[in-house]
Amino acid sequence: MTNSMSNIEFTTDLVESKFSVLSTEVVDKYQVSFEVKKEDVHSLLSLLKSSGWIQLSYLSAVDWPLDNEFEVVYIVFNWDKAVHIQIRTRVDRETPSINSILPIFPGCKYYEREAHEFFGIKFPGNPDHEKQLILEEWDDLPPLRKDFDPRAYSDKKFSKMEYKNDFVNTNGEVSKQDARTKRYDDIDKLRTGGKK
Amino acid sequence: MLSTKFSPMSKEEVDRKWWEIGDFFRRNSLWMLMYCTGCCAIELPPAMTSAYDMERLGMGPMATPRQADVLLVTGYLSLKTLRRLIYTYEQMSEPKYIVGFGSCTINGGIYHDSHAVINQLNKYVPVDVFVAGCMPNTEAVMNGFVDLMDLIKNKKANGWKDYHERYDWYLANQKAALGEVRVHDEFHE
Repeated sequence: MTNSMSNIEFTTDLVESKFSVLSTEVVDKYQVSFEVKKEDVHSLLSLLKSSGWIQLSYLSAVDWPLDNEFEVVYIVFNWDKAVHIQIRTRVDRETPSINSILPIFPGCKYYEREAHEFFGIKFPGNPDHEKQLILEEWDDLPPLRKDFDPRAYSDKKFSKMEYKNDFVNTNGEVSKQDARTKRYDDIDKLRTGGKK
Repeated sequence: MLSTKFSPMSKEEVDRKWWEIGDFFRRNSLWMLMYCTGCCAIELPPAMTSAYDMERLGMGPMATPRQADVLLVTGYLSLKTLRRLIYTYEQMSEPKYIVGFGSCTINGGIYHDSHAVINQLNKYVPVDVFVAGCMPNTEAVMNGFVDLMDLIKNKKANGWKDYHERYDWYLANQKAALGEVRVHDEFHE
């Protein structure tokens, strides 16, 4: 098992023999992605942890507003085989909730707090998941949802610099930009024989 | 018996003289506290090391807010960092000055429409000198420090007095953006 392609084959065999995988995508020779049902995530992650994928690299979510779903992504990493595995699963967007993986990967504690803060996904089982982490005293929709408008929030919340047009052209010269535009128009007229 | 050589000075004049003497020594020996929030902080290493060597202006780095004179805010500030910045600024001993780096502290810069980042720093804390640019050249940074020294010399670096006089205005702006200025996290409770 030194060759990287056989690592991918080993991984897909391991996962697909025991779980019903909705879709498998080999991203590149070091990365493979499995989409599974929400119920299978915990047992699949336990299996991967006992098979060598001992590190949870990242946990995050993707918003799919048209499907009315969030996609939760777990990325696990193996220090012996050079394969990152992404476990993807869909949760409902109206009441997003998925059980915490705290007993399997204790390092998920802060990732789950972050996912709760930015997407509003609840992680029952993680006692801290509703504590604030990065955004403090947040008072609006979770900001990484697609229906959140950052510009409207920024305009409402933060004062903006106000600029006045307090300059005048005292010597009455045509501005360089206007002269340039007129010159280009003239060139176009010559090219088309005087017709627009 | 009063000396005939010197006309007596009023208390205000004596205070003014002492402030001028103090300002002379302060502006020639500025200790900076670098609050490196954004990418403009990368302009400080060349300004501090042998390329531009700000020590020839008498400036040096200081590790704690209570012993520093100048607070350098190098770049954008998220709401979380703004809370800590206000804590830091209020801990500094007076007189204290703030230098804002980059367009982010002036009008938000490229983050003007972000949900997380404030737009105008001088609404929340008094800024004495802005160094414009995204990011500012190292010469511009050095020039900003020389400007600050001139302002201290001409008694125009009065941001810290302004913070006392208009504290209600600053506090109202801070509360409008932050909700509450107090920090509630694992380390402060």
